[in-house]
Amino acid sequence: MTRKANPVPTRILRKSASGILVVLISLSILFPLAWMAIAGFKGRTEVLRSPFQFFPDMWRWSNYTSIAKDHEFLRAMIVTFVGALIFTALSLAVNSMAAYAFARLEFRGKRFWWVYCILPMFIPMMAILITSFVVVSKLGMLNTLAVLIIPGVASAIQMFFLRQYYLNFPVAVEEAALIDGASRWQIFARVFLPQSAAPFVVVGLGSYLAYWNAYVWPILVVTDPKLTQIMQFLGNFRSDRGNDWGMLMAGSTLAAIPTIILLLIFQRFIVNGVRISGMK
Amino acid sequence: MALLESSAIDAPPAAGRQRGSGKGGTGRRAVGARRQDNITAYLMIAPMVILLGIFVMWPLAYSGYLSFFKINYYTGSKFVGLQFYHDVLTSDEFWHSLWIGFYYALLVVPIGIILALLLASFIKTLSKRVAAFMKVTVYLPAVVSTVIASVLFTFMYQDDGVVNWFLSLINLAPVAWLNDPQWALPAIAVPGIWLGFGITTLIVLAAMLDIPDSYYESAMLDGANFRQRLFRITIPLLRNVLLYLIVTGFALAVQMIDLPLIMTGGGPVDATTTPNYYIFSQFRSPDPYSRSYALTASLLLFVVLGLVSIAMFRLIRSDKAVDG
Amino acid sequence: MPKRRSTFALVASALFAASLALTACGSGGTAKTQGGKTVVTFWQQKFEDYQQAWFKKEVDAFNASQDKVKVDYQVIPADTWAQKLQAAQAAGNAPDVQTTNYGNIAAAVAGGEIADLDSLMPASAFADIKDNVKSFVTIGGKHYAYPMLVEPSTVLYYRKDLVQAAGLDPNSPPKTWADLLTWAGKLTSGKVKGMTIASVGPDLGWSSWGLQYNACGHLPVADDWSKSVATDPCYAQLLNFYKSLYQSGDMPKTPKVGYADGSPYGNGEVAMMAGGSWVVGQLKASFPAMIAKTAVAPFPSIDGDPTKTTATLGGWTLTVDAKSKAKQQAAQFVNWLLAGDPAIMADFFKASGFSKYTVRSSVDQALASNPDATSDPFMKIISSQVVPYGKAEPAYPWDIALAFGTAIEAAMKGNLSVDAALKKADGQINDVIKKQSLAGTQPTH
Repeated sequence: MTRKANPVPTRILRKSASGILVVLISLSILFPLAWMAIAGFKGRTEVLRSPFQFFPDMWRWSNYTSIAKDHEFLRAMIVTFVGALIFTALSLAVNSMAAYAFARLEFRGKRFWWVYCILPMFIPMMAILITSFVVVSKLGMLNTLAVLIIPGVASAIQMFFLRQYYLNFPVAVEEAALIDGASRWQIFARVFLPQSAAPFVVVGLGSYLAYWNAYVWPILVVTDPKLTQIMQFLGNFRSDRGNDWGMLMAGSTLAAIPTIILLLIFQRFIVNGVRISGMK
Repeated sequence: MALLESSAIDAPPAAGRQRGSGKGGTGRRAVGARRQDNITAYLMIAPMVILLGIFVMWPLAYSGYLSFFKINYYTGSKFVGLQFYHDVLTSDEFWHSLWIGFYYALLVVPIGIILALLLASFIKTLSKRVAAFMKVTVYLPAVVSTVIASVLFTFMYQDDGVVNWFLSLINLAPVAWLNDPQWALPAIAVPGIWLGFGITTLIVLAAMLDIPDSYYESAMLDGANFRQRLFRITIPLLRNVLLYLIVTGFALAVQMIDLPLIMTGGGPVDATTTPNYYIFSQFRSPDPYSRSYALTASLLLFVVLGLVSIAMFRLIRSDKAVDG
Repeated sequence: MPKRRSTFALVASALFAASLALTACGSGGTAKTQGGKTVVTFWQQKFEDYQQAWFKKEVDAFNASQDKVKVDYQVIPADTWAQKLQAAQAAGNAPDVQTTNYGNIAAAVAGGEIADLDSLMPASAFADIKDNVKSFVTIGGKHYAYPMLVEPSTVLYYRKDLVQAAGLDPNSPPKTWADLLTWAGKLTSGKVKGMTIASVGPDLGWSSWGLQYNACGHLPVADDWSKSVATDPCYAQLLNFYKSLYQSGDMPKTPKVGYADGSPYGNGEVAMMAGGSWVVGQLKASFPAMIAKTAVAPFPSIDGDPTKTTATLGGWTLTVDAKSKAKQQAAQFVNWLLAGDPAIMADFFKASGFSKYTVRSSVDQALASNPDATSDPFMKIISSQVVPYGKAEPAYPWDIALAFGTAIEAAMKGNLSVDAALKKADGQINDVIKKQSLAGTQPTH
């Protein structure tokens, strides 16, 4: 009889411990972000003040409203968003194909090409910043949306990740399909791609953020105000001689919103195994 | 589909069937099929190869060529052979910055991965909605750019900022986090971890969710405890993903520049001068010597990173397919 | 069936083609002429907001005033300036006109990057330049830049009210370094620190030049750049001064912002600060309440001698690119803007809140009749007590300045003893001299 009485309290205990953990972890992770969002309500010089104060003296909406109404901000957001989406789509296409090839196919020179495709991960930006600028300049790509997108599409890091993920796929399914006469392309399209929801979300988010947060390259290659990217825009609030902290925080918070929405939508794809044994 | 089920359930993990069995299968296919693989493969890697070729490899080769010159776009570049390589390799500051970069990576990568493993395991146990909340929460820091994160944490580390405020609650004296040569690098490692462990956690989580529960169940039936399950099932099956996390984590950590640039200016007394920061500060000088020097230093950094990564690949050898 | 494969490939290549087609979006390359006018690209490094506003206004006025030349005005953030400029130089499209710091002129001339202006601008323009600034833009007897302003790098700002409350006399600010340390101690109370000054290597590298001159009468490099003299005993006094200030606890141990940013003083967290003259502009723009409570003075001298240098005169010029295809037109713009009607520059100084100082005699005259200028308390003190004794910023590579700045930092934070720090800097400076073959390459004016 005593056996029966126990499980209920244990379960509640486990659930509340779990809940407390969730709250603690979330708070510590989100604290800096919450501070950033609230700092957006502070005056220009209030953000920097000592002693440290979380809430503003007076909640002023002016930072948020003035940025939200600013045409250039909106344009930068839209241009960057569109660019990021195109970039992500292309990046997924290009990198997933290469990842599959390296994970599953045998071919002449595979070793060589693998090293070739992985190497860029170790190249410091400064090593090729100037020379790649010369390349895009000679190609006439300056001041276009293409120059922001195309050079970064082939990503060693994303391809590497997808390849590792594809390595974990069971060979057995493919063997069966091959026996049935399917081509590699079909296997890729029908077996691997549908199962790639989770890694695609991960890579997709990574690509999206890489594009979204880019700062130096857009400044170098784009001078047309119509193509100003969001980080360039926010950079206007920073300066050696006194930043406009309130605006910067408000702007960064607003700029983060589309990404957060995307995150909320796509996180559901990182779910329990739709895969492997679930194959029909 | 009986073929599938048997291989999924009965096959012991970790020991895993090697690629050999896969090759046995293709033995049935003729050499013609192997050649077909060639064309398919080349087609599939072509976009990547071409894009990298134009925008990365060619500029890299061009930079390599330029590193043998004292670059001047006005009066013409002067050939100096290996002079800059010599100058960089004999520079104490360069080696010091490499050490700082590695030290930073040693702080950020292992802690990040361990935290990710723990968090991912935890999230797995949560209900769907709470899990969704945690997945988003964990990833949120990555949404802000490194620059903003640097600014946020600089404020938090102030003499009278949040961190010292916590210390005062437990009766410890305030620390000059960013201005103390001993604490500065660990201090900037915190935002480094904070920014990256969201994606690491999600990656580990995605990989963990692919491990069939049946493995754990049969292991538990055999009497394995949590630690044994972790080390015998989880980690070996995550090997591929862990390799990825370690290698890329390391490569990215050593190349960190924004955090020291904004938070500490490479100080105090060069305690946070990461390699890229060192290169960048050289690059900023307007004289031709510094530009060529910075270029050569960045190429040497590339070589160092490449060599260390090759070593890591060898150590965590996992380029073999693992059956589920 | 090859259908799937081709569908996929089709989609992929369609996306690819679409993005290549986006090459059409945007304005393409830069044209050298536009509607019959020669285009002159002008890059301004981003400064305070009022500077961008002023430049835009004047560029528009210039463009409207004639129909032969159109100036394409671009603002580049300071943190990416070097990369963007070098990239443009490498690709062959460097800007025709750019803002150039005095300190960078010698290196630019040595590299052949900027054009000699004597053949492009009238001699009268150069005759108008004040004597103390003439040598800043002259190398080998030729002019390579036209100066715009000077801003002393080190001025002492202090809160009259706090000084009074501490029992000190606001009308007689500290004259010696020892005095300053005393004041800093007396003014530290509660949450307010007495003083703030640079404490990070890169900041110290340039902000201490004035005090390096003050302590030793010269910089830590021999006049002909042949060797380091960092171990000169007078520098030990300099390092000890910084060290005492930092270790005394009278200054914030963790800087929130860089040396150039006067926010902590503006927010009332420190009673005194060492800062450049530009802080006046920042206070007026962002912390107007502080203006009435603030007084300025030359930074204290090591032994109280007010004629010794305490500040270097940093500042900005406009230069014309040596490879520019529109040199004449570029120089025409520079001449109109900086060397033309004195009212234009007078307007600039007014916009700056008189936190920057003139370089032309004619502009001085224009300002002499401006009541705002003559009544500004800060301007009077700085222009009469600081600027005349200011020296030029050094032209040697930044590595040397950074090595010395890091030595000061190491001494301040107790990493190294003063002697050890100077010795280390000495070694590093000699190393730079050797590697870059600097001996004998010092610029001659």
